[in-house]
Amino acid sequence: MLSKKVIFTFSPQNVERPVTYQLIKDYNLWVNILQAKFEPSLGGKLVLELKGEDKQIKEGLNFVRQIGVGIELLEQEVLWDEKKCIDCGACISICPTGVLSLDKETFKLKFDYEKCIVCGNCVEACPLQAIKVIF
Amino acid sequence: MTIQRTYEEINTKIRSGKAVIVTAEEIIPIVEKKGIEKATEEIDVVTTGTFGPMCSSGAIINFGHSDPPIRMQKVWLNDVEAYAGLAAVDVYLGATQPSESQGMEYGGAHVIEDLISGKKIKLRAISQGTDCYPRREIESYITKESINQAVLFNPRNGYQNYNVAVSTSDRKIYTYMGILLPNIGNANYCTSGQLSPLLNDPQFRTIGIGTRIFLGGTQGYIAWEGTQFYPQTLKDEEGRVIYKGGTLAVIGDLKEMSTDYIRAAIFKGYGVTLVVGIGIPIPILNSEIMKSVSVKDEDIWTEIIDYSFPHLKKPSLGRVNYKQLREGKITVQGKDVFTSPLSSYAKAREIAQKLKEEILKGEFLLQEPIQKFPQESKFKPLLEIH
Ligand code: SF4
Ligand code: SF4
Repeated sequence: MLSKKVIFTFSPQNVERPVTYQLIKDYNLWVNILQAKFEPSLGGKLVLELKGEDKQIKEGLNFVRQIGVGIELLEQEVLWDEKKCIDCGACISICPTGVLSLDKETFKLKFDYEKCIVCGNCVEACPLQAIKVIF
Repeated sequence: MTIQRTYEEINTKIRSGKAVIVTAEEIIPIVEKKGIEKATEEIDVVTTGTFGPMCSSGAIINFGHSDPPIRMQKVWLNDVEAYAGLAAVDVYLGATQPSESQGMEYGGAHVIEDLISGKKIKLRAISQGTDCYPRREIESYITKESINQAVLFNPRNGYQNYNVAVSTSDRKIYTYMGILLPNIGNANYCTSGQLSPLLNDPQFRTIGIGTRIFLGGTQGYIAWEGTQFYPQTLKDEEGRVIYKGGTLAVIGDLKEMSTDYIRAAIFKGYGVTLVVGIGIPIPILNSEIMKSVSVKDEDIWTEIIDYSFPHLKKPSLGRVNYKQLREGKITVQGKDVFTSPLSSYAKAREIAQKLKEEILKGEFLLQEPIQKFPQESKFKPLLEIH
């Protein structure tokens, strides 16, 4: 099983295509929507996490490319240096996918890596330079 | 019977290991369960804490004299200029002063952090030279061991209460309250609420000049009221009280501090600042004081302010309490937004705990203020007179 994070960019021409449905049904992929922004007249953006067999991910992405949807693979990763972190939470409100939160008991930062789309917002928001994006 | 205690009685109990001490968080369920009077009887001291960015901070440093001596007129520490207009080898290093070679990436606060952690700091100084101080230039390295004094003296710390910052602008803005997303995309706030020192003694009954405090990991003192000290109490239509504007000037030995409780920080697009850890013990002299320290996040209100407005008096978009803020999401003008604290609640709690333990061990005694803060104070704007 492989896991890949991808960004699909839709144009007004292909914005109506049920891409996630087809990836699940025809390519047997596990699809998790991390972020979605759509405006039917302008197109849209979809950030997904895909899990499945290598071959099926490749074929699925190929199908998406064929219908004219832009694909970007998220190969980067964020690194959170817990030793530098002071749990100030400055990174929380700026994260588009709710990756970051303070634990309700300890009030220490929690980092839910699964949901991260490596947008870099938290990197610039962290006053302690405790978060980095690596390629 | 209503309880009355003196500082001396409390200190005697501390010395004999009999004092009962809890944090400003722990006192809440105690008061809820036992009531104010009973809690006043049982508890001697309540400890508070805060750990947040405090820009009005800096250090007084005395380097000692070189041979031949120099009357330093301009001084740089790791390329950060320190103000040298005091005698020959004294400077005041401001926390927000940016480095001349690295700009916003490094500043006075970083020099302070590096000094505390024992690192070598590059010193450069120039002078015109005088008969008694002939030298005109020096370059050397200092550490906290090599210099005479390094005293943290912060003119304005520990803000009693602070606004919640949002932005109605259509672009992202970079402020001292962090990054604010367009169209009220997020909300940032900055106090430790129910743990915050000045919210637990909002009338300054026990906090004044001379109060011994926890400062950056060691014992320090309140030197004076903070600059811009303006303890206002606003009451809104619904009778909610909003405390505002109390501040503290604090002083302590930098050499004894620890980077666990004092850190340099950079707010992107705004600049360098110092994150300072402060803890203040509040002696329970009577039930009035117990009432103040039992304050809860849901009873502490603050204003939501639009930081995109470029003028001094910025518009208010409503009020929230700290319970709502700490839950992580608030509603501003009908929109749900995520909140960020900026001030570390986990660390504030750690500081209140540490202070409690130090008092329990008899290592930290309470000091009655030598003088109270002024009852009245004006908050004056700067007028432009031509
Ligand atoms: S990079 Fe940071 S802000 Fe962006 S999604 Fe990941 S955790 Fe959230
Ligand atoms: S902004 Fe940085 S220091 Fe603050 S909680 Fe997030 S990672 Fe930690």
